[in-house]
Amino acid sequence: MELVIKDLHANIGDKEILKGVNLTVTPGTIHAIMGPNGSGKSTLSNTIMGHPSYTVTSGEVWYKGQNVLELPVDERAKLGLFLAFQYPVSIPGVTVANFLRAAVNAHRSVAGKDTRETAIPMAQYRKEIREKMAALGVDDSFARRYLNDGFSGGEKKRVEILQMSMLKPSMAIMDETDSGLDIDALKVVSQGVNTLLTQNPEMGVLVITHYQRLLNYIKPHRVSVMMEGRIVREGGPELALELEERGYDFIREEVFGNAN
Amino acid sequence: MLTKLPVIAALTAQDIVVASEPTWLQQWRQAAWQHVNEGAVPLWRRTDLTAFALADMEFSATTSTSQLGSAIPDGVVVMPLSQAVREHGDLVKAHLGSAVSFNASKYAALNAATWRDGWFVYVPKNHEASVPLHLLQGFGAGNTLVARNLVVLERGAQLSLIEQYAGDGGPFAVVASELILGEGATLKYTSMQTWGANVHHMGHQVAKVGNDATIVWTSVNTGAAHQHIDAETNLVGNGSRVDWTAATVAGEGQRLLTAPWLRHVGRATEAHMDFKTVVKGSGYATFDGMIKIEGGSTDTVTRLEEHALHLSPQARSDSIPGLKIDTNNVQKAGHASTSGEVDDEQLFYMQARGIPKSDAVHMIVMGFFESVLDRIPLDTLREQVTADISARI
Repeated sequence: MELVIKDLHANIGDKEILKGVNLTVTPGTIHAIMGPNGSGKSTLSNTIMGHPSYTVTSGEVWYKGQNVLELPVDERAKLGLFLAFQYPVSIPGVTVANFLRAAVNAHRSVAGKDTRETAIPMAQYRKEIREKMAALGVDDSFARRYLNDGFSGGEKKRVEILQMSMLKPSMAIMDETDSGLDIDALKVVSQGVNTLLTQNPEMGVLVITHYQRLLNYIKPHRVSVMMEGRIVREGGPELALELEERGYDFIREEVFGNAN
Repeated sequence: MLTKLPVIAALTAQDIVVASEPTWLQQWRQAAWQHVNEGAVPLWRRTDLTAFALADMEFSATTSTSQLGSAIPDGVVVMPLSQAVREHGDLVKAHLGSAVSFNASKYAALNAATWRDGWFVYVPKNHEASVPLHLLQGFGAGNTLVARNLVVLERGAQLSLIEQYAGDGGPFAVVASELILGEGATLKYTSMQTWGANVHHMGHQVAKVGNDATIVWTSVNTGAAHQHIDAETNLVGNGSRVDWTAATVAGEGQRLLTAPWLRHVGRATEAHMDFKTVVKGSGYATFDGMIKIEGGSTDTVTRLEEHALHLSPQARSDSIPGLKIDTNNVQKAGHASTSGEVDDEQLFYMQARGIPKSDAVHMIVMGFFESVLDRIPLDTLREQVTADISARI
């Protein structure tokens, strides 16, 4: 199913950050959103997912026949949306294993059914998390560590991808996943995403990034450029390369002229 | 047939005395009783003293309210304190009142004067108790429990001790615990106030920590309607240490206060305090702490953390940390404090993974307590307390 964003406006406090975003992400495609700092990229991903700091003033986000803006955050996740965070928070006292099991079981839960019936059998869960951790080069001991507590930047991002591979979303939003990653970690993380794409060819991926670098590893089908709270340009993968070469200023001039 | 028990306030000095006890103890009780009658009313602004009115308390001579929740570890002396007065008179005389002075408050005095129940625990020199000892205190006849525990670890001794107040009744509990750690001794002390919802708990706990001795103190406070606990670690020995954590849950109608005192007296003493509180409904919890670094204490390391989570807008937590330094040679002194609702970013993160908000709050709160509850040494007890807390939040 497509993710369709229609004329989305959102504020932080009194300040309007998104000023009418229109965007469609089709299943089975990797759609990159590029833009300079402060253009509203992270606000877009947080707003789609329902972060409480952002207020939607108008617009709609349709997915699987629902305006997800009307759903609580957890229902958005259960609908198949996944946000890989730019800055994952730490949750002391909650282990990676327990957290992920709660998340997996929440996804499996069905209204009106006993959660004990729908929960993943423990043995199956253990097997699955072990396999996924191995694939991402995450040590077994991570399962017992407190979520993101004292994790390095690279470890946090790996655990984001680990969660993604366990929850198998149909639409993943990756918010600056490349920030704070060295090249080796970037390769591992990208490979994780690509593996997931191979296993779930119908998955849509919205990749939000400032740099072209990540797109060398996760190859986009579509590229949208965001500036000042709007999508100002769309194109194919060649657009990312052009941005890499020429920077954002040429688009800024084309769209806004030289006035600012 | 039940006879009406006398009200404590109406007792005479003669009523206090236990005829079979040695003279020194009779005199001690009477001196304490004098303090009950003549001592000043405690200046505890955050404790509702009408909930602890002496005029409401009945005197009971019951002596079977102290139970054991575990077997007695090999080589450890465990017996009712009243029995120890007879069988280990010299030890009791040497230590009774040496940690919790009856001058500490009217209630400490009341306890000293009228205790009938409680335990004597003695670990001989260099003996390492192999399993945890679980002391379980309940209510007996009358509306007031007065019990006293005296715990003595000789040089190099090791013990894991759980002291738990549990059950319904009373409602008044006036209890005291004295913990004496000899040189190089290690005590893991888990003190649990898990009374029923109507209890008024008044506790005095003091640990005297000798040279190079260590106390690992874990406090769990979840029960009672009113709690006032004066708790003190006295790092009197050189190189003595305390690692002190607490988990307090104050739910609907509960007023739970802990006043931890930490005294750095010896040289090169080290303390870490990490107190965690969750308040819910109309619950009210108070942390009224004081760290005192005495003049002779040099190379001191001390760190205090206290964190409170508020699960409802009416819930309240007060934090009054104090630090008084009378030495100019402190190696490290740190303090961190937070108080507020469950973090929005943590909640959003968990919800973004499909976890419903109420479950997310629950997991965050249990995670908040994890490092404290994880230290409860008996698996069944830890699971039980964890489940109790879990059910309440």
